[in-house]
Amino acid sequence: MPQPASPISTLYRIEARPDGVALVLAGDWGASAQLPTTQRIVAEVLGARTHDAAPVVIDGTELASAHPRVAAVVYGVNEQLRTRAVDVHYEGLPESVHALVTLARPAQAEERTPARTHWLNRLGKRGGRRVASVADTAELIGNAFAATPKLAVGKAQARWVDFMALIRETGAASLPVVTVVNLLIGAVLGFVGAVQLATFGAGLYLADLVGIAVAREMAAIMTAFIMAGRIGATFAAHLATMEANEEIDALRMIGVSPFEFLVLPRLTALTLMMPLLFLYAAALGIGGGMIVADVVLNTSPASFLGRLQDAVAMRHFVIGFIKAVCFGVLIALASCYLGMRAGRNAAEVGRAATRTVVVSIIGIIVIDAIFALCTNALGV
Amino acid sequence: MAELDPSQPLPEKGVVVRDLTLAYGDTVVQQSLSFHVRPASIFVIMGVSGCGKSTLLRHMIDLEQAEQGDVVFDGHRLWTDDSAERAALQRRIGVLFQSTALWSSMSVGENVGLPLQLHTRLSAAEIRDQVAFKLALVGLAGQESRMPSELSGGMQKRAGLARAIALDPDYLFLDEPSAGLDPITSQRLDALIMSLRDALQLSVIAVTHELPSIFTIADDSIYLDNESRCAIAHGDPRVLAEHAEHARVRAFLNRQPIAAEDAAP
Repeated sequence: MPQPASPISTLYRIEARPDGVALVLAGDWGASAQLPTTQRIVAEVLGARTHDAAPVVIDGTELASAHPRVAAVVYGVNEQLRTRAVDVHYEGLPESVHALVTLARPAQAEERTPARTHWLNRLGKRGGRRVASVADTAELIGNAFAATPKLAVGKAQARWVDFMALIRETGAASLPVVTVVNLLIGAVLGFVGAVQLATFGAGLYLADLVGIAVAREMAAIMTAFIMAGRIGATFAAHLATMEANEEIDALRMIGVSPFEFLVLPRLTALTLMMPLLFLYAAALGIGGGMIVADVVLNTSPASFLGRLQDAVAMRHFVIGFIKAVCFGVLIALASCYLGMRAGRNAAEVGRAATRTVVVSIIGIIVIDAIFALCTNALGV
Repeated sequence: MAELDPSQPLPEKGVVVRDLTLAYGDTVVQQSLSFHVRPASIFVIMGVSGCGKSTLLRHMIDLEQAEQGDVVFDGHRLWTDDSAERAALQRRIGVLFQSTALWSSMSVGENVGLPLQLHTRLSAAEIRDQVAFKLALVGLAGQESRMPSELSGGMQKRAGLARAIALDPDYLFLDEPSAGLDPITSQRLDALIMSLRDALQLSVIAVTHELPSIFTIADDSIYLDNESRCAIAHGDPRVLAEHAEHARVRAFLNRQPIAAEDAAP
């Protein structure tokens, strides 16, 4: 059963004595829910002194228990008074409290946490780190170009079994979520388009709308978002954990290039799988639109597909396909870069995964915008 | 001797382990373990790697539940159905994990202060006082704002120890406290553990196979055998090194190879 809390005022009092000031500790400190802070006690002790040379006695004769909390406060008070050059003596402290206070070793000047550096220094260091990270990214991209031919001829320091597992993870294992999202996106586009086009009696053109939107934009973008969240985050967390466990250092020590062993298989797997997933996603998106056209506008699948063939040129699929390849490269490089440069602790693993998703999504939008500008300029 | 006499009533004080069997599924790790950890003493659980030392410790701190048997702290059963009693008992237990398990996203001060924040009604200023003292006790005064990743291995162990004693526990469990430390740091940590036992009157239960540490800190010990899967020696390790009944115990404590006939189960 919890004991009733002792008011703080009963736990200590300050007494004036002929030879100085006494801090008299009393009562049961272990049973008290609240404790006096050292700051408060020190202020009262200093206020009670009649002259600067007056010593302070910490008197423990009235203590009802020798709880370790007493030692914490005695230590704190002694430390603060010591820094103010006040002479402190102990009187009647319980043996265990005295032993604890003696065991506690105050900080030496050189052991204290260093003071914060000037903001200009910090700004400079941060700028330096940004420049270094740009250089690292460039090195990573350069490595990717240099090492890909090695993988193609089977000379890369990578394991075939790992590569196949990555192909399965990025490809087949992603199919369920890609299916659901793209089918629904196609259906949503179909609904929105059907309502608007039916107003103008142009329901037949729903195939144009869904076909071009899905083939050129939505299938690639939505699949890339899914892969950023599903695969990018996984890659980053896995590599960050390996970094934290010194597994990547262990690879370096046996002469294996972490890039070839870890990054290259991931980069290749994602770059190969993304366009295939895009084609699958585009088919599903168009399928979703076709179902809606049938249900809402009574357009038969044969009519929808016939119109789609006329309206959606191959170039739209080619643009989407190329985008998917670029998105795959982006997600793989971002996840591997952020994963391998994560700090060596658990929090950094989560941070690397989150950063990967954020960087990938922003990168996907930026790449898509660049494609829009370029294709517009080229008239395709 | 730490071994329990079944004909005698259970000791009221200290930690009593009674007829404990540890198993993962069908695999028995250790069986029929019975011993008593005296109050304000250091009890060492020793044995070769893989014998179940850390598993026993995890059972004693309620991270795992035993197949059979009981662990009793000062007369209170660990595996009681009363969740409040169980939680109250857990608050009297401090643990230093082998990897220190400091929360990497928190500073050293926050690591030590969090148990106080969660389990006491002390104000932020009072908690700061307690944290400063606990860090000073382990020789880390003034290191509150450092992150665990900024500390050396020895400092991380001491920070973990400060967190383990944050709530002024009655029982302190240490899992391989000197693993990975250099001999000097290891010796300092041993001295610190003994000082804390004396000053805080702690019952310390340490899992280790570091011989210098065992001979320095142990008041009492148990040897877990990985072949017979039970405890084959109890007592002061200094005595066991010379007079243990089993050759495997003597070989372990004297760092000698085991003769072929003794190695067989």
